[in-house]
Amino acid sequence: MTKKLAGLFFGVAIGFILAWARLSDPAVIRRMLLLREPDVFLLMGSAALVAGVGARLLRAAGARALVTGEPIGWSVDRPRRSHFAGSVLFGAGWSIAATCPGPIAAMTGEGRVAGLVVAAGLMVGVVLQGAAEKRLAARPLSTAGAAGQ
Amino acid sequence: MTRCPWYLAGPLLGLFIVGLRATLNKPLTGLGGFIDLAENAVAPRRLGYRAFLLFGFVLGGALFAATLGSFSFSLSYGTAGGLLPDAQGAQVALLLFAGALMGFGARTAGGCTGSHGICGTSLGSPASFAAAATFFGTALLLSRLYTLLPGGKP
Repeated sequence: MTKKLAGLFFGVAIGFILAWARLSDPAVIRRMLLLREPDVFLLMGSAALVAGVGARLLRAAGARALVTGEPIGWSVDRPRRSHFAGSVLFGAGWSIAATCPGPIAAMTGEGRVAGLVVAAGLMVGVVLQGAAEKRLAARPLSTAGAAGQ
Repeated sequence: MTRCPWYLAGPLLGLFIVGLRATLNKPLTGLGGFIDLAENAVAPRRLGYRAFLLFGFVLGGALFAATLGSFSFSLSYGTAGGLLPDAQGAQVALLLFAGALMGFGARTAGGCTGSHGICGTSLGSPASFAAAATFFGTALLLSRLYTLLPGGKP
């Protein structure tokens, strides 16, 4: 319950910022993608800088997560083919709608409910990907089954 | 409409990401909430922090509109900076398609602009840098190409 409340609290705070900085406005994202204004790049960069310093300080201090009690820490991945292939598709979708998963939620909250159309598309894509991955994972088993017959 | 300058919005966003880390030891994610909701729709299960983060984004947008912005209920998406057609049907089809591409792609890549582009890079994840470089490269290139379309306005 506390986990969900913490998620909701930071969600509200972040959603407010996304809306206030107009990241929820596709016209702003389009200007970024056409390199007509540097603001969104600078926003993302400064956010990453602060987040990176903060996370490292917490870890160096040996802090534990306030709600869950677990030691602060994380692991990082090596790039795999899926990171590249998936990001090409994501980038293509991003270039059309000029929005992404967080801002689309904030946009909807602002009353521009057409954001729900993109949200519906996101749900479809997420479900299709889950199904495709399940099928891929099941393939060796089904081949083995066929061979066994 | 008021717009928060990047040098305030960026560091604030960074601080809230640190807040998520300090309370839950979890990363920022927009996509994760959609995965939570989609999984729940397919087979009901308990929603995690990611879904509540997403609900929060909606509420945060509403809070902004109610306080600093002007809340106006609108059915129109706009042209996303001049690219999308005004015709409602064509626009809805394109937006659904774009959403599905983003959902499929980001789940394949394990993250989106928030989780890879801001959070993962902040933690020095090589996979996040690879993903962010790829989706930025793709989107910047395609956006440039759209301007060459006949009647391309952006």
